[in-house]
Amino acid sequence: MPYLFVAPNMFIFITFIIWPAIRGFQISFFDSIDGRTFTPVGAGNYRTIFADPTVASVAKNTATYVIFYVLISTFLATALALVVNEQKFAKGFFRAIIFLPVMLSPIVVGLIWNDVLDRKVGPLNSLLQALGGGSPGWLVEPKLGMIAVIFVGVWVHIGFYSIILLAGLQGIDRSLLEAASMDGATRAQIIRTIILPLLKPTTLVIIILSTIHGFQSFDFIYTLTGGGPLGATTLIVQYIYDSAFQTPIQYGLGSAAGVVLFMIIFAFTALNFLVGKKREAI
Amino acid sequence: MSKFQERATANKWSSMSGKKPPSMGDIFRTTFLIVISLIILAPVLWFVLSSFKDVTDLSSRPPKILPTHWAFSNYTEAFKMYNYKRYFTNSVFVTSVATVLTLTINSMAAYAFAKYNFRGRDGLFVLTLAMIMIPLQVILIPIYLVVANLGLVNTYWGMIIPAAATPTGVFILRQYMLTIPDELIEAARIDGAGEFRIFARIVLPLCRPALAVVAIFSILWRWNDFLWPLLIAQKEELYTLPVALALLNGQLVVPYNIVLAMSVMSIIPVLFMFVFMQRQIIQGIAQTGIK
Repeated sequence: MPYLFVAPNMFIFITFIIWPAIRGFQISFFDSIDGRTFTPVGAGNYRTIFADPTVASVAKNTATYVIFYVLISTFLATALALVVNEQKFAKGFFRAIIFLPVMLSPIVVGLIWNDVLDRKVGPLNSLLQALGGGSPGWLVEPKLGMIAVIFVGVWVHIGFYSIILLAGLQGIDRSLLEAASMDGATRAQIIRTIILPLLKPTTLVIIILSTIHGFQSFDFIYTLTGGGPLGATTLIVQYIYDSAFQTPIQYGLGSAAGVVLFMIIFAFTALNFLVGKKREAI
Repeated sequence: MSKFQERATANKWSSMSGKKPPSMGDIFRTTFLIVISLIILAPVLWFVLSSFKDVTDLSSRPPKILPTHWAFSNYTEAFKMYNYKRYFTNSVFVTSVATVLTLTINSMAAYAFAKYNFRGRDGLFVLTLAMIMIPLQVILIPIYLVVANLGLVNTYWGMIIPAAATPTGVFILRQYMLTIPDELIEAARIDGAGEFRIFARIVLPLCRPALAVVAIFSILWRWNDFLWPLLIAQKEELYTLPVALALLNGQLVVPYNIVLAMSVMSIIPVLFMFVFMQRQIIQGIAQTGIK
């Protein structure tokens, strides 16, 4: 009887996750342009991944994006959580606003910022011009494109991380903070020496989660920059997608990139699990 | 709004709420939160206003904040001249059927993991959780080849079934079911109730709060999901809203003013859900760390 209960779920896992994962590993050692005929190439696809200039630029974009995305998200989410936690007036309202972007369709988020950052008719540039600035081509120049993508990535997810950190903050024993403040510690001292160290396990979770999310980013970029300008915001997932759906079709190479991405995500998920274990032990 | 004005409003607001006059910290915090709120709300508001502009307004330089005349026609034309109704129906259909399926099979698996002792239980449970490590993005190509071989490309079932089994759903439901006393199930068994009847009539009704959390997540996720339907729905009549918005905009099939109206309409259901179920959503995320 219990087997009957787990069967449908397991059937889907096996057919649509485990089996494809095994196939993906196999295919990564082949070349295929139609998904039917496969030519063995040994480790050729992996050599390409670590030697090809296109892949190198995708790797560089992904690394840049993930590093800044993680740093800014973690820093800003911690600041926001601290502020919201202390806030007396309209706390729930502000929390809801900060969380709002998490609810929006990433595709629509991309469209929203594509509109706002438009070089000629976007409100941001007309605001900048009114203040005497220039009109930067946010989505036209490679460097600015990457900045825009990082900014929007943070904009979307910051509420998600803040909520988790806020829950962490609420788990801190208030009597500790009151005792410190009675001993004459300033707010800044309390935050630095008591709150932040106690929040560390949650912060670590945020760093790991945001790293995983960063590596998986795809959808809002699709409508924000489409991976451009000049491929400057093409990240690894788009590269995998393109290798299957844009000419030249390279199922093998895309699968190999998928295997590499899996290794990265696996490492961070395992790390998250270990941290979680340690957190429970405390 | 200038810095000074913001400060002034912040000041007034906080002093209204508390008995004590606001401290420097209160003023600083409220100002900070108002600035962040503006950065979040202003672009969304701008976008909504844009959806009421006509083509001339949309290309005017410098851009106008308010439409010269409100082009409600953007909205009506989305229905009349373009296939908006179709995309909307597709999204509603895929979201609701997928959510019902997810709730059914996830709760069944959760029940077995929580209330039965059987060989391989712990192994299968760990395997279920391990599925978190293989997100769609890493198996994009092989999973596409698998669904293509099964003839599921360009079908509703292809969009619905493969992502219906979720590790997090099983996990949330199992944790909740562990709190249901075994005696209750034993008693029903002694009364001669069949196993499936016990599950459907006794366990499921008790799990309503956990089912609600899983349902909310499933709805949100399915409604906004892009990558999976993008792979499966290659024919226009199967597009869900996100796929339609991304592809039609990119291919310039639909004029931009109509795309704007379609986008705004597509976020309204989610916003409604957020307004009414904010507490459950935020709590669910804080507790599970999933999204």
